[in-house]
Amino acid sequence: MERKMLLSINWPLVGITAVLFFLGVLNLYSASGFRMEEGLNVDPYFQKQLIWGLMGLPCMAIFMLVDYRHLKTAAWPLFWVTVVLLISVFFVGKTIYGARRWLDLGFMHFQPSELAKISVLILGARLLSRDTGKLDFLPLGAVVGVCSIPALLVVKQPDLGSGLSVLLILGGMVLYRGLTSRVLRTAVVAFPAMLPLGWFTLHDYQKRRIVSFLNPESDPKGAGYHKLQSEIAVGSGEIWGKGFLGGTQSHYRFLPEKHTDFALAVFAEEWGFVGCMVLLSLFCAFLFQIAQVARDAKDLFGSYLAAGVFFYFFWQILINMGMVLGIMPVVGIPLPFLSYGGSATLVNFCLVGLVLNVSMRRFLFKKV
Amino acid sequence: MSGLLSPQDKEPPRHGQLLLQLLVLLLFCLFTLRFWYLQVHEGQDFARKARANQLRQEHVYAPRGLVRARGGQLLATNEPAYALGIVREDCRDVEATLDEVSRWLGLDREKVGEVYRKGRGKVKPFEPLIISHDLGFEEVALVEANKLRWPELEILVRSRRNYTHGDLFCHVLGYVAEANEAELERDQGLSLGDHVGKLGLEKVMETRLRGIKGVREFEVDVTGRRMAEVNTLPPRAGEDVTLSIDLGLQQLVHKGMAGKEGVVVVMDADTGQVLALVSEPTFDANHFTGGISTKEWRELSDDPRHPLLNRVTQSAYPPGSVFKIVMAGCGLHENMLNPAETVFCPGHLTLGSHTFRCWRRGGHGHVNLRRALVESCDVYFYRLGMKLGVDRISEFSFASGFGKPTGIDLPHEKGGNIPTREWKEKTYGERWQKGEDLNFSIGQGYTLVTPLQVARYISALINGGQLLKPQLLADAEPEVQGEVPLTGDQRDLIKKAMVHTVVDPSGTCWRARTPGVTVGAKTGTAQVTRLTDELKALKDHEIPYALRDHAWMAGFGERDGRRYAVVVMVEHGLHGSSGAGPVVKACLDYLFPRAGRGHR
Repeated sequence: MERKMLLSINWPLVGITAVLFFLGVLNLYSASGFRMEEGLNVDPYFQKQLIWGLMGLPCMAIFMLVDYRHLKTAAWPLFWVTVVLLISVFFVGKTIYGARRWLDLGFMHFQPSELAKISVLILGARLLSRDTGKLDFLPLGAVVGVCSIPALLVVKQPDLGSGLSVLLILGGMVLYRGLTSRVLRTAVVAFPAMLPLGWFTLHDYQKRRIVSFLNPESDPKGAGYHKLQSEIAVGSGEIWGKGFLGGTQSHYRFLPEKHTDFALAVFAEEWGFVGCMVLLSLFCAFLFQIAQVARDAKDLFGSYLAAGVFFYFFWQILINMGMVLGIMPVVGIPLPFLSYGGSATLVNFCLVGLVLNVSMRRFLFKKV
Repeated sequence: MSGLLSPQDKEPPRHGQLLLQLLVLLLFCLFTLRFWYLQVHEGQDFARKARANQLRQEHVYAPRGLVRARGGQLLATNEPAYALGIVREDCRDVEATLDEVSRWLGLDREKVGEVYRKGRGKVKPFEPLIISHDLGFEEVALVEANKLRWPELEILVRSRRNYTHGDLFCHVLGYVAEANEAELERDQGLSLGDHVGKLGLEKVMETRLRGIKGVREFEVDVTGRRMAEVNTLPPRAGEDVTLSIDLGLQQLVHKGMAGKEGVVVVMDADTGQVLALVSEPTFDANHFTGGISTKEWRELSDDPRHPLLNRVTQSAYPPGSVFKIVMAGCGLHENMLNPAETVFCPGHLTLGSHTFRCWRRGGHGHVNLRRALVESCDVYFYRLGMKLGVDRISEFSFASGFGKPTGIDLPHEKGGNIPTREWKEKTYGERWQKGEDLNFSIGQGYTLVTPLQVARYISALINGGQLLKPQLLADAEPEVQGEVPLTGDQRDLIKKAMVHTVVDPSGTCWRARTPGVTVGAKTGTAQVTRLTDELKALKDHEIPYALRDHAWMAGFGERDGRRYAVVVMVEHGLHGSSGAGPVVKACLDYLFPRAGRGHR
């Protein structure tokens, strides 16, 4: 049985993940460089990312080998642990850039908000897989209500981006399950009505970002600067790109946050339209593979887990690419595998491991 | 493990599968389109914007053309000038640095602070902010010696114009100084801080002297810090220029005119080339190149002797008796003058109720044309003027080059004034009076001429009749502007009379006699104001300076086929002969050295 499982590992997904990760490290080498009079200086971000990746491998193995169905029982405890950690951040959290988001673990800074995404994903999978059929108001309210607790805690840190991510993952999974038509109709009416309300809860800097997104020319040196410089970086790559280490927008530091949120712009500048199409195809194949796992999963819980992971990656790719390409406002959401980030890399590998887990157990308990 | 198993009869949601696949497809299409739009459709535009982001251009200074005198001596050169700059980025304690700088340079601490504050917004933190221009060598050495302790200080070398004979050529060369806003606007080739010719030849020959700036193109990062140099277009130096002016002669004239105000022109009669051109007093043009201080400026502009005034171009004077050589020409040209015929001069001439006096109270007796010129008899020319009338005199004067600028390559040249009936009516609203013919004929009244015009007329008398443009450059070809309306015999007649003026014992120009050289000349004493009897009674040195007569001597020297016109005009010099004569004589001695100690 074990042998059969190993044989049925989803190798395409493993392969795509590996290629994406190494493309990311390669790109980070260039993205962390800046030019001085003496030549190119490279900050060692690519090395750190590589180390995070190596640390991610055992995590991935664990998430792959331990039968995912155990998570069903672990869902609630994990959820409460997360909530406790999120609350503790308010008291013992480390403040960086005016936001309390980090817990100091000694060897690393740990963001409970990352954990929140995972535990909501697992709990959501458990709650949604209890039943079949489209969701009506009551069960929807129950699921959303429970999962909103960590989301709100994260928003309060304040970390609007991560808080929304948590809700978006859950929202994706809910959509995957399906909604009754009256819920859908209500949503269509209610969401636009709530937008103005949402506006007033935003911080000033967040409002500025949205205004500058809608009208970037209003302030090209200020809030619109990121979008403009990012578009120039991407666009100036033209068809074939400026070549590896040939990017000027990044190396002369016109591009902000080039090794994190805007890493894609560095890639696009150096590899051009052709490189971007390869990268986009890889991301789409990656998402498609996860979608296939969700379809082929042996049980509903596994299917919802895979769907959750799908949305976890989907939203990040959509929002980050949209931001870099200037069709979405600037929000601090990284691009999986391309943006530098320790916790994010670990989580990415764990979640891929989870999908592999679901995938390789799809042949168990075949229907007779 | 089987306890963990979920119910087998529940299939994953169908439409959910579809949703995921559609989302992937949507993602792919959306971003393919966007990548295509940015990188292919608008790619070139963005590539241009990226280049504009990182490329900066800077001008490379083109050395200004050098100016030499006729003999090759350098008159205008380019010298390094040292400025002190502060690189803010390297500054640990700005206030301490400024304290130190103000102590070293002996500058007011407040002012240094203000320069710093003003410059802070305009200069990038890693670029030097200029605190002081024009450091002396000692100050440069001081800064360099303390560079280790004050790494933020930087000495910048720039180019500055230097005039080796700043006071000798200030009115010919003019000077260069930092371009002002109007000049920057007018001239696209100039950029802020550039020097540009403000006066004189520096201004007139600006394009020739300036050269073409080079361009240096380099890459910068987001803060503007300089990275790699990409491209350099070397500058083209300005053209060097050699003046027609002889340094030795110019120096000699300057010395001869020391303490006087006036103009001296020495012109090669055959080519029009100017060998000496002096407007006295002078100023040192070097004061202006580094930006003149308000105090220096005030001193120069308030000087009662007006050293800043270029008398060569901006002043015109009543010619006095010098005009008699023009009157003689006019009479001959109009055939209304018989050179042999004599006129009786009793010392005055009465017209209506007014008496016009001859300068010699006792009169000259019977005088013909030659004697009238040699002894400068006023009555002779009164009668000639009455015969000719204003129309003929002004027509001949215009034809001889008076009343309009000579076209010399200096800015703002005045043309003097030759009165006409129309001019009188237009200017004063009065008719021309008969008596004014008389004043006109002895170079008084409304007539104003410039020494350059006189030199050109005299050159024409001795060079075959050609009115030549006065040239300032050694390589300038002679430019004939017209012909004096006189025949060869007529010109000779005037010329000979001028020679007799020098040679004859009774001649007014005996001071110009130069052995071995054919010298001709005519003096002039031009009234600045109508002298009252009270003033006339005074001795020369008792007359108030501003009321004293202008003194002229206009002449020529000729030997071995070389001919020069020499015109000296001394403001308030009283008498032509004594006031201007010695300078004429000195010029002729220089131009025609005695055999054995020749300079040419």
